[in-house]
Amino acid sequence: MVKRLRLISTAKRVGVVTRPYPFRPTEVPEEFRGKPIIDGEKCTGCGSCRNVCTPNAIEIEDDLEKGVRRVKIFYGRCIFCGRCSDICPEEAIKLTKEFELASKTREDLYQVIELKMVKCKICGKPFTTERSLKKTLKSVPEELHEQLYICPDCREKSTAYIESYTKRR
Amino acid sequence: MLYRKSIWVFHLNTGGCNACDIEILDVITPYHDVERLGIKLVASPRHADMILMTGPVTREVLPKAVEAVLAVPEPKVIIAVGSCACGGGIWYDAYPTIGGVESFLKIMEEEYSVKVKAIYVPGCPPKPESIIYGIALALDMVKQKIKRQVYEEK
Repeated sequence: MVKRLRLISTAKRVGVVTRPYPFRPTEVPEEFRGKPIIDGEKCTGCGSCRNVCTPNAIEIEDDLEKGVRRVKIFYGRCIFCGRCSDICPEEAIKLTKEFELASKTREDLYQVIELKMVKCKICGKPFTTERSLKKTLKSVPEELHEQLYICPDCREKSTAYIESYTKRR
Repeated sequence: MLYRKSIWVFHLNTGGCNACDIEILDVITPYHDVERLGIKLVASPRHADMILMTGPVTREVLPKAVEAVLAVPEPKVIIAVGSCACGGGIWYDAYPTIGGVESFLKIMEEEYSVKVKAIYVPGCPPKPESIIYGIALALDMVKQKIKRQVYEEK
C-alpha cells in the first residue's frame, strides 16, 4: 500500500510525457528527410533523377501526340533516400520536412510536371524539352546550332551520308 | 464518420522488413500513447475494426493475408503503412511480391467480391506521428493535406 502511494509522488514529479500530437503540431529534427518536391520552374526534364531513383518512384514519359514530357513522382513508392536531390543538376528537387502524407486515394500521392518538347526539323518528331535545348545551346559554338534542332536518329543518318560522300571522293 | 466508438486494430505483417512494425510499437508507448484516442492492438482479426498492413504482400503470405482480411467484420479498412504496403516499395515489380496493397485490393474484389477501403501512409519507415495522422485521417479527425499537384509549362 505504501509502495503504491510512493508511486503517485514519483508520477507527479515526472509529469506527463505524452505528446499531444494530432491536436497540436510537433517539431521534426533538422536533418529530417520528408516529401521531395520538384520545382517546376527549374526542372529541364533531363532524367538524371529517374536514373538514380532506387524504387523507380520517379518516372518520365513522352507524350508524342501533345508534344509534352511528363515527370511523375509517386510518393507511395518513394523511400525518401534523397539521391534525386543530390544528383539534380538544376537543384530543382528538394526534400521538405513534410511527413503528413497519408491520403485516402492513390491519385493524391502524385506530383506531375509537364514540359514542352521541341520538334525535329526533318521528321517532325518531338525529341527533347525546350529548356534542356536552351541549356545545351549555351555550351555549343554557333556554327553547330542548326544540328541541335535535329533529332538524334536524323542526325545519325545525315552524318552517315556526309561521311560516305567524303569517302567516295 | 466511419466509426462511432473507439477502434481496435489488427497488425498484419505481409513480408516487411520489420522497420514499420517497430514504428507501430512506438505508437503504443506512453510517449505517443495512441490509446488516448481509443485505439488498441488486438490479437485476432475477428475482434478488429481496421487492419494495419505492412510489407509488400509476398506470394507466400497472400492466402493467409486474404483469410485474415475476410475475417474482419464490415466495413473493411486497411491502413497501408510504409512504402512497401503503399506501392510495393523497391520490390514493386519483383517476382516474389504482388506489389503492395493496390493489387491486393484488386484480388479481393475480383476473386472474393469483397470491397476493401485503403488508406495510404507513405514513408520508409513512416514516423510514429505520421502513422497516428493516418489513423486520425481514417477517423476524420484531421483534414487531408496532400493533393495531386500538376505543373504545366506556359
